[in-house]
Amino acid sequence: MDKILSVAKREFRSYFDSPLAYVVICLSFFGLGLMFFMFRGGYWQIDRATMQPLFEFVPAGLAMLVVPVVTMRLMAEERRSGTLEMLITLPVKDSDVILGKYLGALGLVSVVVLGSLTYPIFMFQFPWSLGPLDMGPVLSGYIGLLLYAGASVAVGLLVSSLTDSQSISFFITFFVLGAFWFSGAIADQLSGGVAAVLHYISFQTRMNGFMRGLIDTRDVVFFLSITVLCLVSSFRALERRKWA
Amino acid sequence: MGLMSTDVMIHASDLSKRFGAVRALDKVSFEVKRGEVVGFLGPNGAGKSTTMRILTCFIAPSSGTALVNGVDVFDDPLAVRKAIGYLPQRAPLYTDMSVRDYLSFVGEIRGLGPDKFKSALTRVIEVCGLAQVLQKDIGTLSHGYRQRVGLGQALLHDPEILILDEPTADLDPNEKAEVIRYIQDIGKDRTVLLSTHNLSEVEQACARAIIVSKGRVVADGQLDEIRAKTGAVRYTLTVDEKGAAGRAAPSFAELEGALVGLTGVRKVRELPNDESAHRVELSGSKDGDLRAELFRLAVDKGWTLLELHRDAQSLDAVFRDLTRSDEALDRGRTLEQDDDEDEDEGTDSDDADQDEEKKG
Repeated sequence: MDKILSVAKREFRSYFDSPLAYVVICLSFFGLGLMFFMFRGGYWQIDRATMQPLFEFVPAGLAMLVVPVVTMRLMAEERRSGTLEMLITLPVKDSDVILGKYLGALGLVSVVVLGSLTYPIFMFQFPWSLGPLDMGPVLSGYIGLLLYAGASVAVGLLVSSLTDSQSISFFITFFVLGAFWFSGAIADQLSGGVAAVLHYISFQTRMNGFMRGLIDTRDVVFFLSITVLCLVSSFRALERRKWA
Repeated sequence: MGLMSTDVMIHASDLSKRFGAVRALDKVSFEVKRGEVVGFLGPNGAGKSTTMRILTCFIAPSSGTALVNGVDVFDDPLAVRKAIGYLPQRAPLYTDMSVRDYLSFVGEIRGLGPDKFKSALTRVIEVCGLAQVLQKDIGTLSHGYRQRVGLGQALLHDPEILILDEPTADLDPNEKAEVIRYIQDIGKDRTVLLSTHNLSEVEQACARAIIVSKGRVVADGQLDEIRAKTGAVRYTLTVDEKGAAGRAAPSFAELEGALVGLTGVRKVRELPNDESAHRVELSGSKDGDLRAELFRLAVDKGWTLLELHRDAQSLDAVFRDLTRSDEALDRGRTLEQDDDEDEDEGTDSDDADQDEEKKG
C-alpha cells in the first residue's frame, strides 16, 4: 500500500512539475464557467435553484478533454522514454504501478471535479444566496461524477498502456469516452435492441439518475465494473512485456 | 539448490529468450560469486541487456532459470529486486523531477525510513559526486550527471548486487574514467555485473569477463585466461627507420621478409606509426619465446631495435576473434585476415617507394 501511494504521489506531483496541471485546471474552469453561465442563455435562463447544468457540462468536459489529456502519458510516456524499466525494476509489483498511476491521475481529475464544488458553495451558501438549493441532488451528483471520473480515468489508463505514443493514446481515449457519452443521444434516434444496448453502456444515461438525486445500485456497479475491468486489463497489458 | 554455496550471488542456467522468431538468448549459463566484478561483453544485440532484464525480473526467460542472491526470479521477483541495484541502459530517469526528489522517491519505494534515507543520501551524494546538482531538474543535466544519478539510485539501498547496463555509454572520456573509478570503488565490497562493449574499461574495472555473441556465451573466465584462449602471444617490435652505422635503412618489405622467415612467427602486421620508425606486430605460439631470436635477427641485419615487447594477445583481438567467428564461418574464411593482408600490401609498396626516393 505504501508503494502504491509513493507511485501515486510521484505521479500526482509530476503533473504540477510540468505546466500540464495548471493548464488543465485553469482551462477546465474557464470552460466550465463559460458553459454554465453563457451557453444558451446559461444558468439564468433556467430560473431555478438547481445545479443540474453543472452535472451535464462537467462530465462532457471530462470525457472530451481532461481525462484524455491527463491519462495519455501515464504508461505510454514511461514506455517510450524507458523509465518504465527503472520503475518496474524497483521492488514494486506490477499491480502497485498500475494502481499508483491510476490514483495519481484520478487525484488530478478529482481536483477538477471537486473544484467545481465552488459553484454551489459560492452561489447558494456564501457569499451569495441565490435561493434555497436542495443539497440532495448536488451530493448524489458529485458521487456520480466521482464514479464517472474513476471509470473514465481507468479507460484512459488502459488505452495508454496499450500504446507507446501519447498522441495516439489521447485520440483513442477521446474517441472512446466520447462514444460512451454520446451513445445515449444516438440511442434516442434508434429503436430496438441496438438502442437498448447503447442506452445501457451510455455514461450519460447512467449519470441522469445521479443528477436527479437518485443513487441506483445498478449505476454504481456499472461504473465500478468498468473501472475494475480496465484496471485488470491494464495490469495484464503491463505484464505482457515479460513474455513478449 | 540449497546445497549451492551462498557465495554464488548470480546463477544463470540455460537462459533462453525468444522474441517472436528471433532467438535473443540461447542457453546462457554463468555464475557470479560474491565480491566479483564481472564484465559482461559483447557486440550490440548479443543479448547483454536481455540477460540483465531477466536477472532484474523485468522480463521472463522463455526457458531456463536464474537465481539472484539465492532466490529464483520466477518465485519472488520482489526479493530479487530488493537485493539488486540496477542501472538500465542510457539511465532513463524522470526528467521533470529534481535529483533530490527522484532519489527520495526511490528511497520511499525501497522502503528506507527517513533516518536511513538521510544517511544513504549523504553516502550516495559523496560517492557519485551529486552535491552540485541535487536541486536541479534531471532534464537539465548532462549525460554524465544523469548516469551518476542513475548510479546513485542503484546504490541508494546499499545493495549486495549491482547490475549496470552500459554505464559508460554516451560519456566523454573524463566522465568515463570517473564512472569506472566509482565502479572500482564500489566493487571492492560488492558483486558487480557490468555490461559494455568497451574493452579497455573491462580491463580497468574487472578481473573476470563473460563474452556473449549472438545470444551465446563464447568465453567466460579471468581476463588472462580469456586472452590466452586463442593460444597466441603478441610481440611488438619497433625498428628505427634510419639504418645503423653506415648500413641502409630497412624497408618494411625487408623486415617482413626476414620476420616471416623466422620459425614460430605466424602473422606479421604493420602498426600505425610516425615516419621515423617501423612498428610491427607479430603473433607467435603461446609456448615459445621468440624475443631472443628477434634480437639476434636485428643484430644480424643491422636494424636499430627501439622496442621489443611480448604479451598475451590483446583482449580486443580476442573479442573480435570470438564474436566474429560466426560471421567468418558463414563466409568460409576470416574476413579480418583478408583485410589485413590488403592493407599490408598497400603500406608496403608506399614504404618501398619512399625508401627508394631517399636512396636516390
